[in-house]
Amino acid sequence: MKDSVISANNLSVAYANQLVLNKVNFSVAQGQIFALLGGNGAGKSTTLKTFLGTLKPQSGSANILGKPVHQHINTSRKQIAYLPESVMLYGHLTAIENIQYFLSLADIKQSVQQIEDALTQVSLQPQAWHNKLSQYSKGMRQKTAIALALLRQAPILFLDEPTSGLDPAAIDEFNQLMSQLAQAGSTIFMVTHDVYGACQVANKIGLLHQGELISLFNAEHNQSIDTETVHKAFVRGIRA
Amino acid sequence: MSTLLIIAHDEWRYWRRSKLALVTIIISIVMALTSVVLTTISVADENHQRAHLQQQAEQTFVEQPDRHPHRMVHYGHYLFRNSTPLSTIDPGIDSYTGKAIFLEGHRQNSATFSNQQHSSQLTEFGPLSPAFVLQTIAPLLLILIGYSAISRETEAGTLSFLLAQGLSYWQLLLGKVAALFSVNLLVLSPFILGCLLAASHGESSAIIVTFILSYLVYLLVWTLFIVAISALTNSNNSSFAMLICCWLFACLLLPRIAANTTQYLVEQPSKIENDFAVKAKLRELGDGHNSADPAFLQLKANLLAQYQVEKVEDLPVNFRGIVAKNSEAELTKILNTFAKEQMQRELKQSTTNQLFAWLTPALAIRGLSMQLAGTDISSYHKFLREAEQVRYEFVQSLNKAHAEQLNYQTDINRYQDSQALQNARVSANNWQILNNFEFKPFNAEQRLTQSKLALMQLTFWLIILAVFLGLVGRKSQC
Ligand SMILES: Nc1ncnc2c1ncn2[C@@H]1O[C@H](COP(=O)(O)OP(=O)(O)O)[C@@H](O)[C@H]1O
Ligand SMILES: [Mg+2]
Repeated sequence: MKDSVISANNLSVAYANQLVLNKVNFSVAQGQIFALLGGNGAGKSTTLKTFLGTLKPQSGSANILGKPVHQHINTSRKQIAYLPESVMLYGHLTAIENIQYFLSLADIKQSVQQIEDALTQVSLQPQAWHNKLSQYSKGMRQKTAIALALLRQAPILFLDEPTSGLDPAAIDEFNQLMSQLAQAGSTIFMVTHDVYGACQVANKIGLLHQGELISLFNAEHNQSIDTETVHKAFVRGIRA
Repeated sequence: MSTLLIIAHDEWRYWRRSKLALVTIIISIVMALTSVVLTTISVADENHQRAHLQQQAEQTFVEQPDRHPHRMVHYGHYLFRNSTPLSTIDPGIDSYTGKAIFLEGHRQNSATFSNQQHSSQLTEFGPLSPAFVLQTIAPLLLILIGYSAISRETEAGTLSFLLAQGLSYWQLLLGKVAALFSVNLLVLSPFILGCLLAASHGESSAIIVTFILSYLVYLLVWTLFIVAISALTNSNNSSFAMLICCWLFACLLLPRIAANTTQYLVEQPSKIENDFAVKAKLRELGDGHNSADPAFLQLKANLLAQYQVEKVEDLPVNFRGIVAKNSEAELTKILNTFAKEQMQRELKQSTTNQLFAWLTPALAIRGLSMQLAGTDISSYHKFLREAEQVRYEFVQSLNKAHAEQLNYQTDINRYQDSQALQNARVSANNWQILNNFEFKPFNAEQRLTQSKLALMQLTFWLIILAVFLGLVGRKSQC
């Protein structure tokens, strides 16, 4: 487990004594894309928040680069770029201003040119770049947030339902982008309930059901994980 | 450090783009500026007028023709109080104590004139004095500008996103505090100019610096409070409602409750009651205008013995003048006792009132500001005491002239005919008895000593709010 970038070690999390995650174990190596699948309320966002350090584990640990997050919050946060489930950027700022602001808070310097490149990469139409975000659709905000996550140039990406709110073409582009990033060395952890999308990009899929990791799928030799298998397991899990 | 500036800078950008905040900031500055300019002009104008009136009063007195000296005692004289340099910022109780005193024999015209119970009427402070703007209006405007500082981020969800960027909650809180504090500086700048002007009019720099710092601390207390409440509440609405309630309580309700409670605790006899008590006491003295009053028999006997003569007519001094002088001295003793009691009651009211500053910072700054500006009740008492000194000296100088320069026979026969009346006069040279009067407030050291309690109270509030924000910061940290 030494070279795992992201790992959960008997991770249990509770909200006010109610156990939401129960002894979850997995690990993600550098350059891998891990997709955490699960129905509503399975505990996906909870898992993610534990890695971000906004929730403390009841027992076990969530590790970044082998170190428990809750003990090394600041060092691990510096390694992470995070895309929340519903994108929270500032309505009174334009896409470029938003990105500049958040980057400056993270003490990262990027030129306007680099920001525009990133916005192009996530295919946000240039006419909108200088409009205030209060006028954006959900998908456009999502794209802005993805651009920000890319610009953070963090080696690890945490994404909570990144493709919700995107149109099918944008989802395709997004998945391609993730593959490119992973090939360039980024480690990606994404939470989703889009089985198809997950199978398309992920090297590893974890299936979460009522706080327990009921199965793990691995992609073998550059082949993608079989959608049918995952889908069956997913539905069975929900029905069970 | 730079992160704080980035956050503060973004807060300003938000204010610039949100009309409410922008308009409020502009209103604050305009209000601060106009209040300073208007009071500075009116105080300068008043001081100018007062200097003129004082000079005129002295001149009219001195230019009186030859007269009977006791007529001059009743002719009287006016004293005008000039404002302290910082009264341009805080007129304090000046606005209702009146600034002129009529000095005459046998009376202290202002000893019972002032009344601390007026201070409960907010309007008595002058609705737009810079002190009122800073103490009462500025916190309200700060609330309008800053109530959503953190709650806006909580409500929109940007807070957790900010934290996920590696920003610490502390940095966010302090960044917002820095932004709101820069608004304080902006609003304070007209006042600082007013203070510098006061410095150029001779106010000590120790007082000026303490004065400015006190207001800065007061606004900082509100700033910390606003950011803390905004962080504690989960929505803009509840943050706003809570802050407005606290403002109402701290700036409007508590000062009134304090004033009413003080009045209840430290009872003040009504003016009529007091006047009756004084009159009753004075009646025991005898009438100083009537040298035949039995009250002066002893005095007469002593004088006759002293000069070894048989009759009053044979005395080398005018017995009527001696009686006037003696009874003025006795009467003044009584008046001073009453005046002293009255002042002690007023001081007690003011110190009792100041205790309520442990409950609201608004009272801490109110007391502190008046004490530093020299416009509080103890400064006013100093003026009354000095005015009484002037009154007593000028009346007794006239009585001395009465005793020494006017023959007793001429004096008692003055109503026989018009010629006799003409004769019963002394030279106008005797009117040259007035010294130039200029009121000076307590010196810087004395005022700083007087304001020690209020300074402590304000410091107490700063500490409390710093601790409060600290707790909020710790609690909300994940
Ligand atoms: N702040 C919270 N307090 C109490 N329970 C919570 C809280 N957030 C989530 N839960 C509960 O924890 C479980 C997992 O939630 P979550 O991780 O958000 O699920 P999802 O897989 O849909 O992202 C759900 O039952 C949810 O009701
Ligand atoms: Mg979720």
